[in-house]
Amino acid sequence: MPMPVPELEITLPARAENVAVIRHVLGGVGDVLALHPEVLCDVKLAVSEACANAVVHAYAEGQPGLLDVELSTSPEQLEIVVRDHGRGMMPRADSPGLGVGLPLMAGLSESLELTNRSDGGTEVRMCFATREPGVPLAAPGRAGSGR
Amino acid sequence: MATGQPGASSGLDRFDRTRVTVAVGPLVGPVLARVVGIHAARADLPLDRLNDAVLVADAIAARAPAFAMDERLPVSVQSGAGRLELRIGPLRPGGGRLVIEGAALPNVGSVIERLADTVRVRDGGGGGEYLVIRIDATLEPEAER
Repeated sequence: MPMPVPELEITLPARAENVAVIRHVLGGVGDVLALHPEVLCDVKLAVSEACANAVVHAYAEGQPGLLDVELSTSPEQLEIVVRDHGRGMMPRADSPGLGVGLPLMAGLSESLELTNRSDGGTEVRMCFATREPGVPLAAPGRAGSGR
Repeated sequence: MATGQPGASSGLDRFDRTRVTVAVGPLVGPVLARVVGIHAARADLPLDRLNDAVLVADAIAARAPAFAMDERLPVSVQSGAGRLELRIGPLRPGGGRLVIEGAALPNVGSVIERLADTVRVRDGGGGGEYLVIRIDATLEPEAER
């Protein structure tokens, strides 16, 4: 199902303290959408990881940069895009990370898409199912069967 | 009421602001309150002024969506030591003043004007306008404002 125009867009300086702003906002989104606490926890963790990657890797040391976060919802899905305008994904021999970020995001989200943007920067697109964990998607044509 | 280009006189750096655009609907209140609250804390506003800032955010969330263009409300927030600035808009013409007046309580007046240190409506060009609100660590007595 195609996502509509984002319901929420945040652009802020790509600095470590602003990852907390995004987490805090996601808490509010979770309240409004009545997300299951476990789902909200996964969303916060995965999005924090994507934002932290942008803060740590996107821009050269001392270079200011921006971080964009967009959020769209559909009845059963939450899509979050984290975007930077930095130097794009590249191997880093001096990377300070443990290398678990991408597997973590992939494991916590329903789908994960990473893109090196043509105009520079990296885009991380994550989708999360908003249903309670363990509850399967309703089978098409079965809804309203009275069972 | 001051007019002029938003941001033109405040020396704002685009790498020093948080910009939020939220669709008119249930997300506006919770998102604005959280963004403003965390920036107020970061600005080291004392607790009473932090509460004032969140009250102002709630008032904006309640009134400003009615004057948003394209069903989306843009708000930018900048915090510095002991101060917080909110810029709401562009809003539809006349919207800035109506947001302020709409937040009035009997015998109190506009909550926004009572709690903020400065409240201005600025022409944004292109038919829109901006409501610019500054909240400082210490609220100056009304007579001195």
